[in-house]
Amino acid sequence: MATPYARPSTDTLVPGPRFVRPREGRVLGGVCIGLGEHLGVPVRVVRIVVVVLTVLGGSGAVAYAFLWALAPAESAGMVGVPAARAYAGAVPPARPVTEETTARDRSAALLVLGAFVAAAGGLLALQRSGVDVHAGTLVPLVAIVGGALLAWSQLGEAQRTRWVAGSVGDRRMGVARVVAGLLLSVVGIVVLVTRGRSLAALWDAGLATLAVLAGAALVATPWIVRMWGDLRAEQVAAARATERADIAAHLHDSVLQTLALIQRRADNPTAVAQLARAQERELRSWLYDAPSGEGDSLGASLTAVAHDVEDDNGVPVDLVVTGDRPMNGSGTALVRAFREAVLNAVRHGSPPVTAYAEIGPSGVEVYVRDHGPGFSLDDVPPDRLGVRESILGRMDRAGGSARIRRLDQGTEVALTLAPSEGAPS
Amino acid sequence: MTPHAPLRVVLVDDHRMFRTGVRTELAEVAPVGGLDIVGEAADVEAAVAVIRRVEPDVVLLDVHLPGGAGRGGVDVITGCAGVEALNGEPVRFLALSVSDAADDVIAVIRAGARGYVTKSISAVDLLTATRRVADGDAVFSPRLAGFVLDAFGAAAGEVAEVDEELDRLSAREREVMRLIARGYQYKEVAKELFISVKTVETHVSSVLRKLQLSSRHELTAWAMGRRLI
Repeated sequence: MATPYARPSTDTLVPGPRFVRPREGRVLGGVCIGLGEHLGVPVRVVRIVVVVLTVLGGSGAVAYAFLWALAPAESAGMVGVPAARAYAGAVPPARPVTEETTARDRSAALLVLGAFVAAAGGLLALQRSGVDVHAGTLVPLVAIVGGALLAWSQLGEAQRTRWVAGSVGDRRMGVARVVAGLLLSVVGIVVLVTRGRSLAALWDAGLATLAVLAGAALVATPWIVRMWGDLRAEQVAAARATERADIAAHLHDSVLQTLALIQRRADNPTAVAQLARAQERELRSWLYDAPSGEGDSLGASLTAVAHDVEDDNGVPVDLVVTGDRPMNGSGTALVRAFREAVLNAVRHGSPPVTAYAEIGPSGVEVYVRDHGPGFSLDDVPPDRLGVRESILGRMDRAGGSARIRRLDQGTEVALTLAPSEGAPS
Repeated sequence: MTPHAPLRVVLVDDHRMFRTGVRTELAEVAPVGGLDIVGEAADVEAAVAVIRRVEPDVVLLDVHLPGGAGRGGVDVITGCAGVEALNGEPVRFLALSVSDAADDVIAVIRAGARGYVTKSISAVDLLTATRRVADGDAVFSPRLAGFVLDAFGAAAGEVAEVDEELDRLSAREREVMRLIARGYQYKEVAKELFISVKTVETHVSSVLRKLQLSSRHELTAWAMGRRLI
């Protein structure tokens, strides 16, 4: 596809580049470039034809104006139509809707243009056959139709999306165009109604105008409602596609990788259990928005420590946290002591290792419990500083306390901080 | 409760592999004639049909199930309202789930489940929990106890003035919940608080009742998350 524009017929779905007015390289409104690309004709030829037609009777200028009103300007997302098609292949559910909408927009535009030309031709034929058609009737009619075209043609798919999601400037521009088109139509209607009457009859004309406007609104309402509905449906579909892609990406990055690892290490039950446990935790936090262990709160820090120890040692640590509060100096000491306690439980005790942290206005209490043979502080030789220093001493210095209890089965370390801790005094 | 009759259990889970695993594990740890898996189901409709037909003592119920009104285990419990086991006791439900999200837990408990354990529970603990539920007691995992403490504001120090108050825990119930959250077994809780295991069970059942009936904002919000109210 080196020259996609040269052979438009190869793609059966879209029979050529969409007729848009490119932003770059335009002389006036970008109509000639767009038309050239659309028809597969060199721009220069198009320009010469338009200029010649303009000089000979002015039809070139009229055609230029119509095409300018009809063709939407190229938006950033549309630059490079081939890229958009490649994207269409990669994500089937989202794209066909857009293509369909675009095609419908364009066919409707052609239909209106055709009707307009047919009407003009019909009028000419009537005039030829002797029926008196006032030129004064024709001009307002042209204004009405032109205004409607101007407003309507700007409601392309890209524009609609931009209105809702785009910047304020874009939206203002689009609204301005529609308003201008509507004004043109209204002026045309007023001129049509008041033509050849006195100013006194303007009241009637006003009423008639109102009636016409009301009728137009009545006719347009279902269409606007449907358009809005279409837009909402498109947005929902796009959101769903994004979500699905997000889930797929996440599963690929985490679960599939872990499953591959598990298969390779199938002969090592400890490693497999460790991998499965880590993956479960990660997936759980992603699905249920559980504390991820990241953040500045005390609960999150404790969770992070429990996860770390679990990963390093392959022993599950079940931590339950109630309440939470921001981190501070004594909190840091508590978290370090907690790490030491959990490490001890994992290394010297036996599973299950459970931990409970209660963070409330009456202080912080953290319990770490294992189900091993248990130990008492008196059995620990005085030269072993692990428990004494990193748990008891550390909690003392932080203004809290630590207590080690031997249970019937296992050991429980209790760490407490007084309530005043944490409130800056 | 006659201790001689085997416990009749129905297993409801949409993963066949998991059902097989639980069946095998329970068969390994349960004494011969102690526990009988009398039925299995993979979705809400099948579960309601099986439970109504075999009238088991206990249903091990997955929280997330296809079918029904889309509420999973909650639909099974409501669909089996009034069904009695062979001994005339109501059929008891023990929720068994991979999810420990608060709204799942609270929803299934409020629908009438007697307990909630995660699927990583050991076979021995699962057997104990099943027996306990069959006896009409409640089963609280440490995590569920943590939820309860959070939901009733007990962690923040709120304590009921009278035991009957539904929106807060009594001081004793709070103590029991805290010990369960710390990983204590019921008998360890009993020893710690110098009360009997039966009293511990009474407290836990009382907390379960509060959990099911309380109109505390946190609980109703969680239950509404599962369209339960």
